[in-house]
Amino acid sequence: METEVIEAELVLPNYLSFKRIQMYDKYPKGQSRGRHWKHLKQIIQAENYQNYPPDEPNYVNIESPPSMHPCKRICDITGYEAPYYDPKTNLRYANTDVFKMIRALPNDNVQRYLSLRNAAVVLK
Amino acid sequence: MPFISKIERQSDYNRFSSSTPIVIDNGASYFRIGWAGETEPRVVFRNIVQRPRHKSTGETVTIVGDHDPALLKYFDCTRSGPRSAFDSDVVFQFEIMEYILDFAFDRLGATGSEIDHPILITECVCNPVHSRSKMAELLFETYGVPSIAFGVDAAFSYKYNQQRSVCDKDGLAMCPGFATTHVIPFVDGEPIYKGSCRTNIGGFHVTNYLKQLLSLKYPYHLARFTWEKVEDLKMEHCYIALDYVSEAQLFQKGTKEAEEKTKMWQLPWVPPPVEAPPSEEEIARKAANKERQGQRLREMAEAKRSSKINELENELRGLEFLLNQLGHFQESDIPSFLAETGYVSRQEVESARSKVVQSLRKQKGEQPESEKPDVPSNEKYTLINIPDDMLTAEQLVEKKKQLSLKSMSDGRQRLKQKRQEELQERVRKERLEEEKHSKNPELYLEQLRARYKDLSEKIDQRKRLKTNGGSSTNGNGLAGSVGRGERLNAAQRERMRLLATAAFDRGKGEDTFGAKDEDWQLYKLMSKDNDDDDEEPDEDTTELARISSKLQALDPKFVAAGTSQPAEAPRARPLTKEDFQIVFGVERFRCPEILFSPNWIGVDQVGLDEMAGVSIRRLSCKDEKLEERMTNSILVTGGSSLFPGIIERLEAGIRMIRPCGSPIKIVRALDPVMDAWRGASAYASTPGFYTQTFTRMDYYEKGEDWLRNYQLRYSL
Repeated sequence: METEVIEAELVLPNYLSFKRIQMYDKYPKGQSRGRHWKHLKQIIQAENYQNYPPDEPNYVNIESPPSMHPCKRICDITGYEAPYYDPKTNLRYANTDVFKMIRALPNDNVQRYLSLRNAAVVLK
Repeated sequence: MPFISKIERQSDYNRFSSSTPIVIDNGASYFRIGWAGETEPRVVFRNIVQRPRHKSTGETVTIVGDHDPALLKYFDCTRSGPRSAFDSDVVFQFEIMEYILDFAFDRLGATGSEIDHPILITECVCNPVHSRSKMAELLFETYGVPSIAFGVDAAFSYKYNQQRSVCDKDGLAMCPGFATTHVIPFVDGEPIYKGSCRTNIGGFHVTNYLKQLLSLKYPYHLARFTWEKVEDLKMEHCYIALDYVSEAQLFQKGTKEAEEKTKMWQLPWVPPPVEAPPSEEEIARKAANKERQGQRLREMAEAKRSSKINELENELRGLEFLLNQLGHFQESDIPSFLAETGYVSRQEVESARSKVVQSLRKQKGEQPESEKPDVPSNEKYTLINIPDDMLTAEQLVEKKKQLSLKSMSDGRQRLKQKRQEELQERVRKERLEEEKHSKNPELYLEQLRARYKDLSEKIDQRKRLKTNGGSSTNGNGLAGSVGRGERLNAAQRERMRLLATAAFDRGKGEDTFGAKDEDWQLYKLMSKDNDDDDEEPDEDTTELARISSKLQALDPKFVAAGTSQPAEAPRARPLTKEDFQIVFGVERFRCPEILFSPNWIGVDQVGLDEMAGVSIRRLSCKDEKLEERMTNSILVTGGSSLFPGIIERLEAGIRMIRPCGSPIKIVRALDPVMDAWRGASAYASTPGFYTQTFTRMDYYEKGEDWLRNYQLRYSL
């Protein structure tokens, strides 16, 4: 290791005195650990919240409902208010200048703008 | 003001007795750890881990928090991005959590064989039992901690502010965090989780949104928009508008206020070195050089030419001498004489001589005889005029040859003439235009411009027809679009008609198209139509190009509209200073707005202002007075509440959903970022803290169900 790296103490040391089991014992090299851990969706599923009374608050209960107010539509490119919508690309636009620009965009950018709104075409 | 991490190793670990709790605020953005009873956490760092490989030794090391990028150059960071232990706001990756805890305890100065202090650690609201138990296991097993307590960070922040009389014991805590936003009602100082509400939008999403918008708007500077830089920009410049629509309209109209609110970020840019206009001497020197070179070339050409002329003259003399000699001989002796020289007969010698004469003349620069083609033509076509029956068979063959030759040369003549005429015509037209231009430049330019506009419109329309025909049927797949798009053009309509009639004629269930050879003549008709269609626009585009070039030459105001390829990026001109400025106008208030309208990101949940209403509704308390008391003390805390303008906006939003005239008071926490840790620290230093912790024995004896129902009591 280079001296300045050691001096800066950038790296986590391998052995720590206050630990009962060190990392290299717990996770021996060569095993892929990435798949050990359950993701949030799997955790929630394993919790079986439906078995418990719905009155009690749990992680899923507290989630917010969808909005009651009508959604304000804004232009995807500029951010102004956008009453219009382009059927070919599915983007919202505010005026004719923006429309010209939309039609000139390469498809890649169009999909990226749509994915901002979570409206892109996802191929699985 | 970006946060600065504090990661110095503390040296006073041993000063603290075993009963002093360690307080940890385990947040999705920052990790804070310190001793109970103090006002500032000792160690603060970003809650991420990187595992790069060292370039020279090849071993994989662990780096916690974000560090000086200069030091990271020794490591190969391509395959190791920063990883977080969190998924939304729940810890799920305990290996990473372990690295982080290792680092934290190490920097706190921990020595000895285990961590011998009780630990208070924060978690999210209604943490799933799986995550809670794994965390407890990690702390008990690996670190040897005697007892643990779990608490909610927003609740600690509220309690802290309540003790400072910022808010009352009945109130509402709104906490926009890093990955989620919570609203928790408090009654008598205790959080009522039943009435709490969580939306999955936080500071992370705001930064992401801003990053995407900027990189789409300025694709050239993509590398500049790193996540850290964008977060800095967000913290410095973003604000929340009181009313989004009116702010947007300000910008749309381009008013002066909008200009003031627009910030510009100038990226470093070095103008390309301007070449100094060459001085007089330079020019003169260069011209002299060119002259000299030209002179040299000319001399070389001259020398070559004269040498060639000499050669040819020599040859000529030789051949003439030969001819003279031939003249002395008899006919029969000629072959034997000539065998030495390589020519077979007298005619050959003569023809060779005449060739040499001609090339000599050309070299000397004389005009090649132009009457020559005419003379032989008159000689050669002698047979044509004689009628057929007077000729022999041989002569007939000759005559046919001569006929074809004549027609060919006639054709060539005609072509030449036509070309000359065209040339003259063009010259005449140009002269006319010049006259017009000189006589009345304005009128001429007007006419040109009008003609240009007409042509460009025509071309645009044709193109639009083509693309619209193709695009309106995009949904039907390729086959449909090919069929219908073609028919919009007259020529292609004709084509379809021919095909359809051909198919129809057969009918009767059997397709016998192609049985007869004449059927395929159909395609000959069709292809001609296609050719016409392709040629037509070419004419117009060439005309357009001609006019546009003329206009560019003459008219200073003319700008060639990009009718041909609008999709081409206009980067032909050299980049100027303006290209390197990032303009930051609407994005300033567009990005934090998603906290109030998560729909703009595609998250189908309520925004911050509506969440208060949802939370109160969920409480379902019959007591109106309680609701009023609650809205009278609303605390805004959490990292993402630092945007200027959030309080006013929240007030306007909540007033919309509450009955008219009810009291609304919204306050920001004393320090939205640090208050959670401070509250926890204050809580841990009370003597009643020990009643709320659970030990290892408890954990193993009572099992998971008990852990599920474990909730901290906040008012002691």
